Amino acid sequence: MRVLKLTPDKCTGCLRCELACAYMQTGEFQPAKSVIRVSPFEGHTSYAPYTCPQCAEGWCMTACPVGAITITAAGAKDVLDDKCVGCKLCTIACPYGTMFYDPDTRKAFKCNLCGGAPACADACPTAAITYEEVATADWIGDFARERAARVLAAR
Amino acid sequence: MTRHLVIGGGTAGMNALRTIREEESERSEVTLVSAERPYSRMVLPYYLDRSIAESHVFTATAAVLAEWSVKTHLGRRAAALDTRAGVCTLDDGTKIAYDDCLVATGSSAVRAPVPGADGRGVHSFWTLDEARGVLAHIAPGSHVVMIGAGFIAFTILNSILALGARLTIVEIAPRILPRMIDPTGAELVEAWLRRHGVAVRTGAAVTRIEDRGPRTRLRFKGGSDILCDVVIMATGIRTNLEWLAGSGVRVNRGIVVDERLRSSVPNVYAAGDVAEGRDLVTGEPAIHAIEPTAQEHGRVAGANMAGRDATYRGSLLMNIVEVCHLDVASFGAWDDPGAEAFTAVRQERPAYRKLLWRGDRLSGALILGRSSDVWTTNDIGMLKGLVQSGSSLAAWKEHLRGNPFDVKPAFIASRTTATLLPLTLLGRAAKAPGNTPVAV
Repeated sequence: MRVLKLTPDKCTGCLRCELACAYMQTGEFQPAKSVIRVSPFEGHTSYAPYTCPQCAEGWCMTACPVGAITITAAGAKDVLDDKCVGCKLCTIACPYGTMFYDPDTRKAFKCNLCGGAPACADACPTAAITYEEVATADWIGDFARERAARVLAAR
Repeated sequence: MTRHLVIGGGTAGMNALRTIREEESERSEVTLVSAERPYSRMVLPYYLDRSIAESHVFTATAAVLAEWSVKTHLGRRAAALDTRAGVCTLDDGTKIAYDDCLVATGSSAVRAPVPGADGRGVHSFWTLDEARGVLAHIAPGSHVVMIGAGFIAFTILNSILALGARLTIVEIAPRILPRMIDPTGAELVEAWLRRHGVAVRTGAAVTRIEDRGPRTRLRFKGGSDILCDVVIMATGIRTNLEWLAGSGVRVNRGIVVDERLRSSVPNVYAAGDVAEGRDLVTGEPAIHAIEPTAQEHGRVAGANMAGRDATYRGSLLMNIVEVCHLDVASFGAWDDPGAEAFTAVRQERPAYRKLLWRGDRLSGALILGRSSDVWTTNDIGMLKGLVQSGSSLAAWKEHLRGNPFDVKPAFIASRTTATLLPLTLLGRAAKAPGNTPVAV
């Protein structure tokens, strides 16, 4: 299966991925509605994108009481709008913090790999986000740990 | 052919049933006994506010059960279990022989022992039938009084307001949500409720409920009477275990189960509200009467019944409720008085975090914030991940003491994602619920 590979060293923090994602997912150019989130490190001198790793367990999917989360042809866990009642159980079941809730529609939403053509990867000008046939992984943990160590040591 | 019997068509039973079909290597006979047609209690609040049709609540239609070749006894309750003979007797005298069985009979609503609690204008909100009853009686402008300010009451609070009713919450304890959030959080929620036009009376003991024609009068020990249109009693639940008396199945607070969800009788499993299994965080036996535990118990029990050897690490206590667009969530041992706790409040948002520690690992967390706030939603999941994984936060503990809101960098830099990714409940990738209107 192809997944979103994140290479944080290449991220410039331009946030194009957030805009592209929000537009693709909700029709709005509103970063607050993006399901890929860019975090700053070391006082905004470096950045890393973070999104759903499409985990094997699919904690969101198995927790849904009405079977509203399924696996798409692209292999992504995705929310079926007409089945989701907005109970938020998926938001507490997902241990990655990558389930989202739209108060306007009262539905949960998440990264669904845009049906196999992820807008974030397309929008990324530096290939920090690529869509590749690789095993999903903790792409940004080491990057964050290294940078955090310096910040925490400086306290 | 192995004969599996699943007693109870709620979340635990339906997850077990589906997992048996997913895991078995050869076809078995599966029988389901359920007092009600299988439906999801979790979604009843959305039926109450009319955002979904009644048909949406059902988790398996007759067609789906037929597709899964499940023999059903719907509308029937198990009355006795003869574990020596391997026979379950139903309330109509039907006897079902089994090779193994799952007890997943769940809980029922309990009303406070107040004179008049069984009156015409008093409702419970637990079963689909009870939900229909409440729905039929609430109209725009109705005055609804909720007796009990616990989790169940709060799950339907938004629905009652959405129907245009006026709401008063009455709680005998000195504060709301006593088993879901600490006093600081409860105070924030109470203030938020008042801001949204909900009246809250805490420390209020109802002494009598009187039928006054179309209306109902509540009398209190001290404090003025309330005259209202609908009373909903959400004063607790009790596990449905009486019918197991004399079965030989060991019951403590619930049916004591091992890491394979097996009871003291090896071919009798238990799952969900009736099961007392391992708590993931404390390692102690506990009853977690919540949806995710019922799902996981059901799946692990189902896998074992199907012949797999599936062990369970334990259930994580977790809850979330939205109160007028304010999210309130709790994880793990959030009320452990012995734990070291870091807290931070932002009154103006409002927002609240409480992190509870065992050494340099999170053992529990409370979180409160606006539903529209992405930060809150992301932190909810990450706190769950930190408590579930038991990641070491040694490098971050002092930072989090200073700022309990800064969960995200701690989650990412502690490589919690790497710890979580290999975890699965059944040692394999989970399967999608499929295209059928099946929710299991």
